[in-house]
Amino acid sequence: MKEIHFEDVKKNYGQTEVVKGLNLTIEKGERLILLGPSGCGKSTTLRLIAGLEEISSGKLIMDGKVVNNIPSGKRNVAMVFQNYALYPHMTVKQNITYALRMKKVPKKEIELRLEDALKMLQLNGLEERLPKDLSGGQRQRVALARAIVKQADYFLLDEPLSNLDAQLRVSARKELVNIHEKYKQTIVYVTHDQIEAMTVGNRIALLNEGVLQMLDTPENVYHHPSNIFTAKFIGAPPTNIFTMKYQDGDIHFGTQSFSLSPEWAKKVYEAASSQLVFGIRPEHIELSTEPQALHATVKSIENLGAEYAVYLTFNNEEMIALSSHKYWPLNQQVYVRFKMEHIHLFDKATTNSIGYPIAYKNKSMSLN
Amino acid sequence: MKISKKVTIPWHIIFIFIIFLLIFPIIFAIGTSFKTLQDAYNNPLSIFPTSPTLENYKVFFESLPAFKVTLNTFIIASVVTIFKVITSFLAAYAFVYFIFKGKNVLYFILISTIFLPFTVTMIPNYLVISKMGLGNSIWGVILPQLADAMGIFLLTQALRSISISLIEVARLDNMSHWHIMKDIVLPLVKPAVTSTGIWFFITSWNEYVWPVLILKSTENFTLPLALQMYISSEGGTNFTVAMAVSVITMILPLALYLIFQKYIIGTFISSGIK
Amino acid sequence: MQVVTSRSKKRFVHKQSILAYSLLLPSVAIIAMFMFWPFLYTIYLSFFDWNMISLTKNFVGLQNYIDVLKDPITYKVLLNTALYILILLVFNFTISYIFAFVLNFFVGKMDGFYKSAFFLPSFISLVVGSILFTWLLNPVSGPVAIVMGWIGLSMPIWSKSEGWIIVVITLITSWKIFGYNFILLYASINGISREIIEAARLDNVPLWKIFFHIIGPMSSATGIYVFIITIVQGLQFSFTPIKIIAQGGPNYASSNAIYHAYHEAFVLYRTGHSAALSILTMAIFVVLLIVEFKYVERGIYYENK
Repeated sequence: MKEIHFEDVKKNYGQTEVVKGLNLTIEKGERLILLGPSGCGKSTTLRLIAGLEEISSGKLIMDGKVVNNIPSGKRNVAMVFQNYALYPHMTVKQNITYALRMKKVPKKEIELRLEDALKMLQLNGLEERLPKDLSGGQRQRVALARAIVKQADYFLLDEPLSNLDAQLRVSARKELVNIHEKYKQTIVYVTHDQIEAMTVGNRIALLNEGVLQMLDTPENVYHHPSNIFTAKFIGAPPTNIFTMKYQDGDIHFGTQSFSLSPEWAKKVYEAASSQLVFGIRPEHIELSTEPQALHATVKSIENLGAEYAVYLTFNNEEMIALSSHKYWPLNQQVYVRFKMEHIHLFDKATTNSIGYPIAYKNKSMSLN
Repeated sequence: MKISKKVTIPWHIIFIFIIFLLIFPIIFAIGTSFKTLQDAYNNPLSIFPTSPTLENYKVFFESLPAFKVTLNTFIIASVVTIFKVITSFLAAYAFVYFIFKGKNVLYFILISTIFLPFTVTMIPNYLVISKMGLGNSIWGVILPQLADAMGIFLLTQALRSISISLIEVARLDNMSHWHIMKDIVLPLVKPAVTSTGIWFFITSWNEYVWPVLILKSTENFTLPLALQMYISSEGGTNFTVAMAVSVITMILPLALYLIFQKYIIGTFISSGIK
Repeated sequence: MQVVTSRSKKRFVHKQSILAYSLLLPSVAIIAMFMFWPFLYTIYLSFFDWNMISLTKNFVGLQNYIDVLKDPITYKVLLNTALYILILLVFNFTISYIFAFVLNFFVGKMDGFYKSAFFLPSFISLVVGSILFTWLLNPVSGPVAIVMGWIGLSMPIWSKSEGWIIVVITLITSWKIFGYNFILLYASINGISREIIEAARLDNVPLWKIFFHIIGPMSSATGIYVFIITIVQGLQFSFTPIKIIAQGGPNYASSNAIYHAYHEAFVLYRTGHSAALSILTMAIFVVLLIVEFKYVERGIYYENK
């Protein structure tokens, strides 16, 4: 039962509410990612679990016990900080073992855990170095090692890779997943980087302005975003959002229109929204010069390396599509096509998704 | 930034000249302390004595209980330093790592005392020290010197420069305040603590105003008071002896400064940037 | 100087107030005993006529303040104090500001050596300083008088002349405090990004404009602090040379507000007058303090953000 429950947890600093009534369950042994733009309350949420911030109202339950008033030292959590927080005056070995020595763990046991962690994180030979004599990647691994040897039930990571360069980040991500496979602690991992979230997480909790936007697997967060914010935050370039009108099974963008499939039409009927908004990812738009139901005008093309971002005007709104080549005629009309399983429909008033037909749910997932 | 020598050289000359003005009196004092009085009058411009003599030092040690005077100064400065460093460190720790009622107000009030002119406390303190029977005692000199918020200010600044996540890691590990202080905070602010301590020591060592009010008999004197005895408004007939006592008074502060100048300048710089 | 909790919302805080109070207790107790209480008692004494020895104190209301404000010597002393402040500021604020600026931006080499050398006299007793300068500046046989004689100048008998005595005493005090102020200003200016200055130089902005338009405002927090500390500490530090060299004389020509309060209490035994003068002096300091906390603290908070 090493799970974590948030029950209507609020956190405010004076007048500012940073976490606004969070309800969230983090399962035992999972890797949960707290994802969101800066200032969304993800770090605060993590610090609430650690006990480094006090909860303003609501209940935080860890392992079946309300821990609101339990000091951080008694919560059995290990934490890796963004700046690593290594003690600058202690060697690698002293840094890793300091907490254990203070806890009076037997010497032999300390040696064993140290050996284990050094080996796992390839820190052998660096034991007597000071943090200032280590590279960024090595420091990050020492911070991990220091957290691992505590063998805590909960493992909290606050943007642990954000100070590493791109290449190191890839290997560090894998390392983290490997460590978790071995120790199976409950991991809560804060990041603003969606790639990190996708690769590391079992589930992602997406936060914005202190409110939980979506809690689901990386696949679902990508394919079936629960609201416009999620659709736009996940994926780059972001999901295109268009105003539209729905009439008798057809979707109208100004003078253009196309027919929804019966499955979607049924969903729209069930949703009974007065006004809908249309969403489609750039990578799901297919451009062609052969006539189709919808068309748009090419405005500019940007080289992204592996592919090209094509900027178009579609019904007086900006549209971004990804294409494998750049040979699209500027300022001329091209045709636009997409698959039914890739479209998203949101209620305009609530910005929530109206849901997805079951048939497409499975299809879109299996395609990727 | 590249700056032409036309600009830098005149400034170097000005700075060297200013430094000459600042440092010359010290060198002059050292040189003169080894001169005979006759030599000092005949060659006032020369730093080096024509026939070096220890006579001036001898006079000081014979006419006053010089050893006792030096010891008094040392004891007073040491007690004041040790007490103030410890209490300031504890207070700074409380101000930086705790939240409690009245914290800002208390900090404000304590720091404000740095700006209090000593004249607003001098009469009552004099009365209290007399009443305690500590007039003419080194303890009467020590006690009021302990009340000083400068160390709280300097060490609060130093503690604030420690990354707070270091303390958070320690709290997550259920570390006691005692261990956080001893194993983490203290080693990290050692330069600031050392230089604050040296500053306290030197300030107390050089203190003149308060001892002159309290101490009456020569065997309880401190070095600045002993030195004052060799002054008369005309420049003094015991001038070379005064130089010898000056050298004895200066030597420890100068040595401490030369050894620890990097620490000390660093601490004052970090308290100043704010 | 800074209000400590300005950032505290982001930091981990222990809620054990009792422990916090006990950590503060030794400092607060000793400061209460030798700062707060005597301060209040001085205010109390300022309403009484007393000579420190007699058993009775006579309540005289505001008479001490009236006496002090009616006494022509008070005005002489206050005028002296103003002169002290003026000269102290020239040496320890204006000149040290300019030096700090120049050393930061126009003298690349040896800045470490200059810093150390400027700061060194701050570690030496003012009693030593007073004696040294009395001898060096001896109008007849001192080295400076001799050097001046070579170029046909003669040194005024400063210890006997109004005005000059203040100049000399301020010189001695400045010798002691110049380095400390310089170090603070140097550090503050050093914190200003080099690129800002370089950008201004590329635009051909003259040096004095860089100083007043960029360096001044960007180092104003420390600047104001140094300004105040120069006045508050400078006047107190002047006490030692005043007492040693001139005992406030000749005819109060060297006395300042601090020395005069001492003189009233321990030479004339008029504790009431001394207390009243001290409180008045402090009122001036308090105004300075308010300036400090209002502008400097706000400035700091702004800079830290």
